[in-house]
Amino acid sequence: MESPAAARPRTSFDMDTLVGTVLSTGVIASVALLSIGIVWQWIAIGKLGLDYTLPRINVVRFISGEVLGMLHEGFGPTRFVNLGIIVLMLTPYLRVLLSMFYFILVARNYKYATITAFVCTVLTFTLFLR
Amino acid sequence: MSFQLLLLISVAAGFIGAMGGMGGGIVLIPALTFFGMDIKHAIALSLLSVIATSSGSAAAYVRDRLTNLKLGMFLEMFTMLGALTGAWLTLSIRPQALFFLLGGVLFSSAAVLWARRREEWRPADRQDALSKWLELEGAYPEHVTGETVAYRARRSYLGGPLMFLAGVVAGLLGIGAGALKVLIHDLVMGLPPKVSTTTSNLIIGVTALSGTSVYLANGLIDPGLAVPVILGVVGGAFLGTRVLVRLPDRAVRMFFFCLLLLLGTEILIRGLRGA
Repeated sequence: MESPAAARPRTSFDMDTLVGTVLSTGVIASVALLSIGIVWQWIAIGKLGLDYTLPRINVVRFISGEVLGMLHEGFGPTRFVNLGIIVLMLTPYLRVLLSMFYFILVARNYKYATITAFVCTVLTFTLFLR
Repeated sequence: MSFQLLLLISVAAGFIGAMGGMGGGIVLIPALTFFGMDIKHAIALSLLSVIATSSGSAAAYVRDRLTNLKLGMFLEMFTMLGALTGAWLTLSIRPQALFFLLGGVLFSSAAVLWARRREEWRPADRQDALSKWLELEGAYPEHVTGETVAYRARRSYLGGPLMFLAGVVAGLLGIGAGALKVLIHDLVMGLPPKVSTTTSNLIIGVTALSGTSVYLANGLIDPGLAVPVILGVVGGAFLGTRVLVRLPDRAVRMFFFCLLLLLGTEILIRGLRGA
């Protein structure tokens, strides 16, 4: 049997590299932001852990609230923690979004561009869920 | 529940989960509810942490060219819709029912582990028209033998809808439902075990995100609790994957088989007692 993956040229930039990089960067960034938040809190009040809850909120509101807060109020432990959660949630979303553009612009595979566009549309809808 | 206790539980769950090639959720939810957390909050937190563990390991598998990206992207259409349905069900269902369902999933995962103890994969000789049209084929490097293993997926017309059900279980119970996904990949679609496990891992991220969005919108994601859970599960999984390499396969399977039966029994008993 022909082996398509083996036959595939291993260029410096391909779909596997793109997906792998997006996923690992997202997780590392999220863990770093959460760690900064928790260590900052620990240094500030001498106690590990944060005690706050989020209201019923959709992901887009959550993101816009944090971005606006970042611009107007600056940074603090809770800001870092919220950003860490946002980065984590957006990691798979960004993976799908970039895959879609890869299928459209680089691979020119419109079959999979449509499939990823569908996944992307439903995921975008979930970000607006209330 | 204190930060330290949550962190400790999550490290243990991530460690044990990774050792068995599963997510941490299957251990995390029984442990969190055992220490008094409400099951719906435990499910929401677990699903959020699943995004971290699955993305972390999926990144490595994708770079090693083990994951079939096209297959993953086709199947996640179904799991994503399933997870949305599952998460909505969780919001309306009685907590006691969730204990029974989780117990059922733990027992089924044990059964899958038992059934797959003598796995032997044979390449599919024929591929149906839909799977062919979807370009569901590939090849991966087998590090032990140094050979390239070629494969073709089949019966995607059945695999897709079945993955919807796996997505429902994931969204409903806050777990990756890896055992169920791998079972569909292996038995229905005829994929080699390595490809089915790694592709399932990739799909879990998107599946978990759609479920988590529902939980966030309903106020079930508590950042104060999410931090130790995410950091603990990621840290534990990081250590667990390193230990896994050193342990014999048979010992890991036996350990997991017993653990799943134990957790399943414990959860069912709590369900019977009215949680």
